[in-house]
Amino acid sequence: MTKVTLNVNGETRTASVPPEMTLLRLLREEFGLTGAKLGCDVGDCGACTVIVDGKTVNSCLMLAPQADGRDVLTVEGLATMERLHPIQKAFEEKGSLQCGFCGPGVIMSAKALLDENPDPSVLEIRDALAGNLCRCTGYSKMIEAIQDVARGDNRQPVGESA
Amino acid sequence: MTRSDSRYVGASVRSKEAPRHVTGRGRFVDDLVLPRMLHAFVLRSPYAHARIVSANAGRAAHATGVYGVITPDDVVRLTTPFKPGRYAAGLRVPVPEYATAVGKVRYVGEPVAMVAASSRPEAEDALELIDVEYEPLPAIVTTEAAAAPDATLIYDELGTNVAWQGHVSFGDVDAAFARADRVVSANLGIHRYSSTPLEPFACLVDPTPERLTLYCNCQNPEVVYEAITEALGIDGVRVAVPDVGGGFGQKIHLIRKYAVLTALMAVQTGRPVKWIEDRSEHMMAAGHSCDQEFDVEAAVRNDGEVLGLRIADTDDVGGSVSTLTIHFTNKLNNLFNTYRVQNLRLEGRSVLTNKCPVVPNRGIGKPGMCFIWERMMDAVAQELGLDPIAVRRRNLVTQDQFPYTTPNGNIIGSGDYQGLLDRALKNIGYEDIRAQQKTGNDRLIGIGVVIGLEPGGRNAARDMAIFPKSKQMPGAGGVEGATVKIEKNGSVVFTLGAPSCGQSHETTAAQIVADVLGIPPDRISASGGWDSSLSPWGVSCANSGNNFHLYDIGAVHGAAMRVREKVLTLAAHLLKVDRSALDLRDGIVGRVPSAAPNSSADGPATITFAELGKIAYANQALLPEGFEGGLEATYYHSHPHADPGMLPDETGRVRAQYTFGSAAHAALVEVDPGTGRVKVLRYVIVSDNGTMINPSVVDGQIYGSAAHGISVALGEGFVYGDDGQLLTLTLLDYGKSTTLETPRIEIEHHPVPDPYTTLGQKAAGEGAAIPSPAAIASAVENALSPFGARVRRLPLTPERVWNLMHVSR
Repeated sequence: MTKVTLNVNGETRTASVPPEMTLLRLLREEFGLTGAKLGCDVGDCGACTVIVDGKTVNSCLMLAPQADGRDVLTVEGLATMERLHPIQKAFEEKGSLQCGFCGPGVIMSAKALLDENPDPSVLEIRDALAGNLCRCTGYSKMIEAIQDVARGDNRQPVGESA
Repeated sequence: MTRSDSRYVGASVRSKEAPRHVTGRGRFVDDLVLPRMLHAFVLRSPYAHARIVSANAGRAAHATGVYGVITPDDVVRLTTPFKPGRYAAGLRVPVPEYATAVGKVRYVGEPVAMVAASSRPEAEDALELIDVEYEPLPAIVTTEAAAAPDATLIYDELGTNVAWQGHVSFGDVDAAFARADRVVSANLGIHRYSSTPLEPFACLVDPTPERLTLYCNCQNPEVVYEAITEALGIDGVRVAVPDVGGGFGQKIHLIRKYAVLTALMAVQTGRPVKWIEDRSEHMMAAGHSCDQEFDVEAAVRNDGEVLGLRIADTDDVGGSVSTLTIHFTNKLNNLFNTYRVQNLRLEGRSVLTNKCPVVPNRGIGKPGMCFIWERMMDAVAQELGLDPIAVRRRNLVTQDQFPYTTPNGNIIGSGDYQGLLDRALKNIGYEDIRAQQKTGNDRLIGIGVVIGLEPGGRNAARDMAIFPKSKQMPGAGGVEGATVKIEKNGSVVFTLGAPSCGQSHETTAAQIVADVLGIPPDRISASGGWDSSLSPWGVSCANSGNNFHLYDIGAVHGAAMRVREKVLTLAAHLLKVDRSALDLRDGIVGRVPSAAPNSSADGPATITFAELGKIAYANQALLPEGFEGGLEATYYHSHPHADPGMLPDETGRVRAQYTFGSAAHAALVEVDPGTGRVKVLRYVIVSDNGTMINPSVVDGQIYGSAAHGISVALGEGFVYGDDGQLLTLTLLDYGKSTTLETPRIEIEHHPVPDPYTTLGQKAAGEGAAIPSPAAIASAVENALSPFGARVRRLPLTPERVWNLMHVSR
């Protein structure tokens, strides 16, 4: 077993895990953060996307011990009790998601994009979401929601989790 | 509620489901954890075709953490085989099929054994300790090889690999061909693909003493409910369906094998057992659409009128008889597409191969039927030197013909097919594009315009059209329930009879209830996920068949109307006014301002739902005489216009489905002459979904299903090696389109209300997946016209397109 200590959504968390455990399983099974989903386990679908030290990561491809000492942000870290993150709000208002399974991963990819590039072109949005597969939506309303946020239609001061 | 006083129906009201999904708080099966829960893993066949000589669990059973192993011998000893259902309507010889392979494996990935351990890694490791000895048999991967006289038999019981042959025929086809000026023929093909929902199969079984509960992401709970009841011989069964991560047909059928195995494991170990399918398992064994090959002949007149069609359809149904005729019978839904042609013969052959069994898939059978019609319309235009749009127009059902009965018995309530084409042509700028093409240009740009139906609301007797004399009708017409309840505090809760897989059923149903009861949607909620013990469900309980709009909407509307009646009765009594003087608005019952006062003027003028709730559930002294306490009602809806044609007649005429949306699709594509890669430049849809309850939801369904059909046309699909090994085990290899390939889709609505449904609604689900493969095919063929190439088969991968340009014409 390996001891890992990481910052998850602003809190220091520790667990003792087998060395082969993935970050995804650590989040879901040890920390009860089930927002990130297991869709393929080989890094193709992006349903497990989280942000590690500011960069999107397929958490099914990162071992939990590799996350030791890092900052991990999951979809659970975006909203506060008072309000949704602007991206979440835009996805809600647009009806961007259908079954919702890919949603947390897509939203985290969008978050990483907008943090780096607050005014992305449609092509840049499409590029940032290329690792997140969705079968329900044809991606249309996800792209529109991200454009809305970038244009400021949903832009609000973003909290500490940003 | 009348059609005119809708306040919420027709509006894109805020999603009920979105708040939990955008925050990652959706509750899917894999998110559920139970005390003492074990984790199961399935051992699968590495061979496409082999005899199982022996399967020994001994070493695995003693491995660390292992609590149970199930081998084929256990399955035979402890369960009874599945009954052939409506998907195997053509099966005439009883072939027992169990949850695992028994005696033989017939496709790579077929389940052979299951092991459960205290952790998922321990279970997966223990798989290697199950000793299975196989004697490999020749793998049969083409229908041609399977149908050869000396082919190895996949099922000995059948004596042939051509497991079903039959036909349906309407009108006088021979006479139509005798009258024809000319016969246009083509050999067409559609490949194997799937819906690949993002969430794979998932089962969690809790074997509590009072009954066995299965949490499962199934689309049609009836399938797993009956499978467990029959296989295990128990009736203490409860099936619960939480959030489902996409279905599209994929989660209807083969999931029953895993429901039974997981349930058996839970019973054997006495513990909750969770089984989560991994992605490669899903690709191998969760079901594909079948490869379909069509030899088509069209009898035509020189003016473009199609007099009749003859189709010989060969369906590669893979290594199972359990869905033998499902692709064939689903063609009955749109056998004539949007055309008034009166003569058609469809001959079918279901051929077994050593590939994955076939299952429903976003439109099953219908994309194939639309592909046949629309490819033939283009072929007819080419042979006759006519404009392809003009040929279509020549044959469309016209507006004065509605309600229109197709020769095979479908009754299409309404539509405006010419209008759909007009708008699609205008929106894409058809004339300009054609003119530009004529001016000469080096770029390979092509346009394709097609039209198709979106059938909705399944008749449960449909599949028996190929076997009308059967004594085992699996049901007929439709029955589906819903419950609506005003709580004691005045809020409203409803329970639907069928699960959702992401189609916003909670949102849409809430809009119906909101209008009927006069209460805003934000005070209405769904009671939770589907639960066989609580949900009022009938044969139409299915997140498939485009059932929701007809059955669930009808049911929730009916239940809300019953509650409204109770509200009016109770309020009239308490306010001492006549019921007709009352109106419901914003959760308050009050006197209609214009109503003549016929009661005591000093009584209260209004009463809230909360006040009514307190009285209805708690104060018998204030209830009118004979009033049943509570403010709750359940209503089971059946389509009031389900007859004529509910039961198939001796010629196979039957109402396959009850509503028929329609759409015209226009695709503008560019082919890269160097690589054969196709880029979709524009994609335009004009859609008739009848009265739209929530236009934003309808848009979402169109976007998603169009993206799927386009992706399928351009390369997404399964590929097998000659040895029957699946070569596309990952989503990447399989080629589902990402944001980079998926085009922007432009939608215009052109709704024509259905005269027979509750609110004039038609289906809005899988629809755009039906014409889109045909639209892409048409556009690519147009782009390749300098080469004289004919597009006959999908998918249009760069390799195939390059070959169309340079090798085969």
